[in-house]
Amino acid sequence: MSVGGRSSASATARLSVLVAVLSVPAFTGVWELIARSGIVNAVLFPPPSTVAVAILEWIRTGQFFGDLMASLSRVAGGFAVGAAGGIVLGVLTGRVRLVSSLLSPLFHILRPIPPIAFVPIVILWFGLSETGKLFLVVWGVFFTVWLATHIGVQKVDHGLIRAAQMLGTPQPQMLWEIVLLGALPYVTVGLRTAVSISFYTLVAAELAGSFAGIVYRIEIAQQNMQTGQVMGGLAALGLLSFVADRSFAILAERAVWWR
Amino acid sequence: MIPSLLCPDQPLRLVDTHSPSASARQAIIRVEDLSIVFDVPSGHVIAVDRVSLAVTQGEFVSIVGPSGCGKSTLLNAMAGLERPFEGQVLIAGEAMLAPRPEIGMVFQQPHLFPWKSVRRNIAHGPRALGKSKAEALRIADDLIAMIGLTKFASAYPHTLSGGMQQRVAIARALANQPRVLLMDEPFGALDAQTRAVMQDNLLELRERINATIVFVTHDIDEAILLSDRVLIMSAGPGRILKDLQVSLPRPRSSAIVAEAAYLALKRDCLDLIRSEGRRAFEQMEIRT
Repeated sequence: MSVGGRSSASATARLSVLVAVLSVPAFTGVWELIARSGIVNAVLFPPPSTVAVAILEWIRTGQFFGDLMASLSRVAGGFAVGAAGGIVLGVLTGRVRLVSSLLSPLFHILRPIPPIAFVPIVILWFGLSETGKLFLVVWGVFFTVWLATHIGVQKVDHGLIRAAQMLGTPQPQMLWEIVLLGALPYVTVGLRTAVSISFYTLVAAELAGSFAGIVYRIEIAQQNMQTGQVMGGLAALGLLSFVADRSFAILAERAVWWR
Repeated sequence: MIPSLLCPDQPLRLVDTHSPSASARQAIIRVEDLSIVFDVPSGHVIAVDRVSLAVTQGEFVSIVGPSGCGKSTLLNAMAGLERPFEGQVLIAGEAMLAPRPEIGMVFQQPHLFPWKSVRRNIAHGPRALGKSKAEALRIADDLIAMIGLTKFASAYPHTLSGGMQQRVAIARALANQPRVLLMDEPFGALDAQTRAVMQDNLLELRERINATIVFVTHDIDEAILLSDRVLIMSAGPGRILKDLQVSLPRPRSSAIVAEAAYLALKRDCLDLIRSEGRRAFEQMEIRT
């Protein structure tokens, strides 16, 4: 009885693995069929084969690499600056009451404004320069990381701080070692959220006017009615964002090294 | 035979009992008319009410009392973690207004830094006080050997049992060579067997270090076993009810709990606590 039950359970498990492996090819196949059947307009809804050709062409001409680098450098640069600022100010507002009184009300007012809403003023301030794009990404990342750090710092085990006080820990070491490492599990969650946010804001930044980048390529392709290229761009953006999130998750796991 | 062990007439302030000048020189900790008041939504609570006591250099003093009697608050005031509302705490003649590295503390929870190995946890204090890394690690290694955890020197705290963690916490507090070691129910979170082992360990350890120890507990057995003197506190507001000298011979071990002298002392403590509990309870009924 029990043996039979177990083998049927393992059969179910095997079946679900099989279904999972076939899921994407199956949908791609159905998409190919529908796009080729003439039910839909193939110009607006090209089959995956057309998308694949567009992607290969994109890579072959060398444009893909340039676009990738342009987008990656905006995301990485904006993330680094925003995250560093968010962590530093988060530790200070979380731990030093005077700094918190000074900055927290301001940050809480600015934080809920979607970064995309800043596109018009960013264009006024920075034109179409890289600085403006960096600004948007930094803006999106900063508040997320700041809030996570601020909350994390306040949740640091008070006993750890007392123990460190009793051992004569000087104030700078208290902030940048005990408090920051104590808050690290929260900070990494904030950083991971900020990875996705940096991609959202990248879209806004590149749509606002740029000369290279994955989202720029999508926009140009749209204007030329190259739907296959548009979809190829979306796929590239999705893949890039996915890889960034996964690799950050692995990194975050290692960052809290003592667990 | 037994009454000689107890000093029922001993007043609260030990300083006043001996020749004042001599004991004033010897007393390393002096708590003078200390009151600590906490603000709560419904007004305020007097946690410690005009407590005075003195602890002599090298002495092991326990503070015993029911939960919420203010014994931990009193200890925190000695640590400089709690500001006096009135009165003061003097250690080595200096008022305790903030923690000082010459005063070590072991809490009920080990509160080890989870991101540091056992070795680095213990080395933290000496490093914070500006000792070289090599020197700090040497101090740590000596202490690790003393607490018998050499095999676990590079282990992270979460991989250790509760008793081992607390041993590391004690070693960490000793790394700064404190003149005074404050212990706030350090074995309270451990199971009975581990607690007995830890008590024996502490008795042995005490023979090797020359720190003055103030030990807070609600366990009378533990207090008598470990201490030279037991202070019994009453609850609401926190006051010192009795100051008992424990003249049992040293070295002691947990086997002492079966001895007649020990039992007599314990009976005395229990009577006191029971009558105090009844008084507090009746008082509460009158108030309500």
